[in-house]
Amino acid sequence: MNESELEQSYFGSKLRRNESILGILLILPLVLWMIFAIVIPLISAIKLSFQDVGMIGSKGNLIGFENYRHVLTDPNFWKSFGRSLIWVISNAVIQTVVAFISAVILMQKFHLRSLARVWIILSWIVPTVVVIIIWRWMLGTSGGIVNYLLVSLGVLSTPVGFFSTANSAFISIVLINSWRWFPLMTVILLAGMEGIPQELYEAASIDGATGWQQFLRITFPMLRPVLYVLGLIGTLWSINVFDIIWLATGGGPSNATMTLPVYIYNMAFKGYRLSRASAASIIMGIILLVFVIVYDRINKPADAD
Amino acid sequence: MFFRKFRRSFGTFISVFILVFIVVAPFYWIFSSSVKTNQEIISRDLTFFPHSSTLKHYTDLFAASNYPRYLFNSTLVATLTMIITVILATMAAYAIYRLRFPGRNIIAKLILSAYAFPSILLLIPLYLMLSSIQPKLIDTPWALVIVNVTFAAPFGVWMLQAFFKSVPVELEDAAYMDGANRLQTMILIMLPLTAPGISSIAIYSFISSWTEYMFASVFILGEANRTIPVGLAGIVGQYQVDWGLLLAGATIATLPVLILFSLVGRNFVEGLTAGSVK
Amino acid sequence: MYKKLFKVIALVMMASLVLAACAPATSTATQAPAATKAPAATKAPAATEAPTSAEPVTIMIWHMEQPAYRVARIQELIDEFNAANPGIVVSQEPQSWGDIYTKAPAAVAAGNGPDLLFAIPDFTPIMRATDAVQPVEDFVNEMDVAHKYMPAAIAPYNYDGHIWAIPLWSMSHNLWYSKSAFEKAGVTPPVTWDEWLAAAKKLTADGQYGIGLPGNKNLYTDQTTYDFMVNNGAEEIYNSDGTLRFDNAQTVEALDFYSKLFKYSPPDSTGWAWGEAEACLASKTCAMVLQFTVISTFDSQSGSDANDLGVIAIPHNSSQSQSNTIAYSNAVMVLTADKAKQEAAYKFLRFIMEPKNYGRFLTMEPGLYLPVTEDGSVADSYWNDAMVVKYKSQIETMVENSKNGMLFGFTNGNTFQSISQISAQNLIAQTLQKILVDKEPAAQAVAEGQKLMEESITK
Repeated sequence: MNESELEQSYFGSKLRRNESILGILLILPLVLWMIFAIVIPLISAIKLSFQDVGMIGSKGNLIGFENYRHVLTDPNFWKSFGRSLIWVISNAVIQTVVAFISAVILMQKFHLRSLARVWIILSWIVPTVVVIIIWRWMLGTSGGIVNYLLVSLGVLSTPVGFFSTANSAFISIVLINSWRWFPLMTVILLAGMEGIPQELYEAASIDGATGWQQFLRITFPMLRPVLYVLGLIGTLWSINVFDIIWLATGGGPSNATMTLPVYIYNMAFKGYRLSRASAASIIMGIILLVFVIVYDRINKPADAD
Repeated sequence: MFFRKFRRSFGTFISVFILVFIVVAPFYWIFSSSVKTNQEIISRDLTFFPHSSTLKHYTDLFAASNYPRYLFNSTLVATLTMIITVILATMAAYAIYRLRFPGRNIIAKLILSAYAFPSILLLIPLYLMLSSIQPKLIDTPWALVIVNVTFAAPFGVWMLQAFFKSVPVELEDAAYMDGANRLQTMILIMLPLTAPGISSIAIYSFISSWTEYMFASVFILGEANRTIPVGLAGIVGQYQVDWGLLLAGATIATLPVLILFSLVGRNFVEGLTAGSVK
Repeated sequence: MYKKLFKVIALVMMASLVLAACAPATSTATQAPAATKAPAATKAPAATEAPTSAEPVTIMIWHMEQPAYRVARIQELIDEFNAANPGIVVSQEPQSWGDIYTKAPAAVAAGNGPDLLFAIPDFTPIMRATDAVQPVEDFVNEMDVAHKYMPAAIAPYNYDGHIWAIPLWSMSHNLWYSKSAFEKAGVTPPVTWDEWLAAAKKLTADGQYGIGLPGNKNLYTDQTTYDFMVNNGAEEIYNSDGTLRFDNAQTVEALDFYSKLFKYSPPDSTGWAWGEAEACLASKTCAMVLQFTVISTFDSQSGSDANDLGVIAIPHNSSQSQSNTIAYSNAVMVLTADKAKQEAAYKFLRFIMEPKNYGRFLTMEPGLYLPVTEDGSVADSYWNDAMVVKYKSQIETMVENSKNGMLFGFTNGNTFQSISQISAQNLIAQTLQKILVDKEPAAQAVAEGQKLMEESITK
């Protein structure tokens, strides 16, 4: 279905006026909801960012762009921004690869396939706190099964603290976050793959295309509309992840896992600089908007709107 | 021939097994550990099958915390989020993908761009707003419903896109011929045809609300309205490390969604699939 | 398919209703009497509008005593008080030190704050920024006359012309150790840092770690780091004019020594809070830990005899003449401006400070909380507690050690309120992490730490 078809349809012109009214009426509740929950708070965040409010509830004075100057010259802001970049990229790479592999596996025909397809999503449906308890329990140094197995297999001589050094902590939370999110991506990709007509593959195998070639020439292009939205929303979801990092490491050790959301949260609620934190979050919002616009320009598939 | 086929299905079996193992094994590990006695839990020799079995951690959990209340609060918030998200997203998706009116494309984009705003950006002003307006919404389930719907609905609208686009316009036309108006066609023709998609967003919004932590930890101040994630994070505590209690808490927090998903999990996956097949 | 979904939705709603019906009942059975919990718990108009002859005065207490047995002991006292005072309904809500610095100011700003809020000295200035904290010198003086306060307990809350909180108890760090582990390794209790380091080294063997020291960015690590500083003459973070003197040779030496001892601590201790340290000692994975008390965990989890638990003063550098320790005077702030509520709150606190109740209040965590009144420190209700009797020698050592207690920002009769900013962000611990995690030289880390502190206290 596309625009011109609707246009030509018998009732297209006759119902035009009613259609507009109905359309606006139907969309209004959600729009109002979004205005209430996003636009109004956004305006007050912008106002806050030009003041010097410290703690919730205290009064502030207008101080112009002072907060923005402060944030933009804060080396910690840029370090956190860099960590956020690495966080998004490493999560995207790991999750995409694992999700594709899982989706391909689940496309095979095997016993209990529909059961596996439903329960693959298990790690995504539990609260993040549970995810953190699971992994802190498994990665602990005393009684943790991962250390136990690694030591018993002779990979390690003594247990290691996965959250103790900067790099291992960062890698650990990336893997934990990917473990939590890849099932949702798998299911969405699976849905997209199901939609690809089987004849395309049959034709390709007659032409002698290998599995890999089929993937590159058929699967991947056919999934572009899904991948487009997944790439966009997934990136935005991922850069906004706060709970996993906060609950697993609190941004530590020594700020090694402090991404932008953690930096902003710390500034607002531990450093009692609400206004400056607002400025930081608005800068982050602008960065994300720029990303969305650029992404849209580069990747937009012809038929997505 | 036979061997090749065997090798292939064996390969499939192994890969499926690894995949399922990666997702499910950690859950087996916490469930099985949660019924061990404390001595067995902290013992340096790990036991893959519990040698001891006790429900002590579960009784402790219910004695030491308001767990039933957290469960109730989470269910309440998730159910309200689900109902409101389904209604708002379905209406909006119908309008955007089936009706023509000025500005619909821009509105569709704007709705999806909700995710571009860092949720942490909204945390502070929303907190101030919800605590200043009357009736006071802070520290009530509604504060959480408001944010959860805000972050579930845009994805819901997108998920419904395929469904609404796929229903042939002739079906609707036929309904008009029979004298049905727009609203009637929407309810009688569109809703049943898009039901799988709607059930998918219902489940999606329920789950995303069930797992939300950041807003719940700031917007809910007292014990009375705490949800599972915040209540469980409270049990994690700082003074003591009681793994038995934590593992029992994690298990109980998992059970409701486990039950829900065993009933409707298939709808979620099939709903998504149906959307892209059509 | 969707019909099934609607069935499930109906099921979920029904489950909610069932849970709603039994949730208050469950919490009643376990935590509070119906009258106390129900109004707070349900927030439903039906519950609050229940016909009562006279509207009772309600007092909401927030404290950070999360463990279930502490909550239960406080509830016991609350129940007795409520029963004896029909016009007053006291209730409690346990919070966590981890987020109270965020939550309490936010709650007060939103008009949802508690009436009584427990405090430590560096927390009070933060709450004072909300204008909710009431001066309480009249009541403190009344308690002083009745029970004779130890002066050190009041001092850190006495500034700007008023007393801002009512002292409840004091607590201080000690070095706890396993006597059998010491015997097995042939180690005697250390007095100086050199002996301490040698002991930790010797005790690290066969899967046992010599000492459990936290390296996290949290309050616990602030405390243990300060333990090292006060035992090297670096207790002053401020000059007398309020400028910072954190960056000095003694601090550098103290933190450097911390990092040396840290080598004998378990690899995951950069993520520790108080609980992990206690568990480490109780499970015999650590031979020593720095902690206020480990008695109840040790008693319930270690399976060892009470005599096996050793406690001594924290060792000091050989340049120092005696051992010092970090010490807190814990207190409670009054946040309600309502006179009737204030009166009710005072009535409850009078009840708590009565010697016959005070000991039971303190022994909610046996041995952790030491009395701050003279009649309290000899009260039978304290010394007759079963756990106190069982661990009497340890508790006597704790009382002795606590006499050399100090707290950052409140040393030598000074009160520097800006310490609350430093403490809220755990900047002392962050400085330590630069050494432990980033492997920076101690001098560089301390210099950077002072810069962070200076930034945090400028408006």
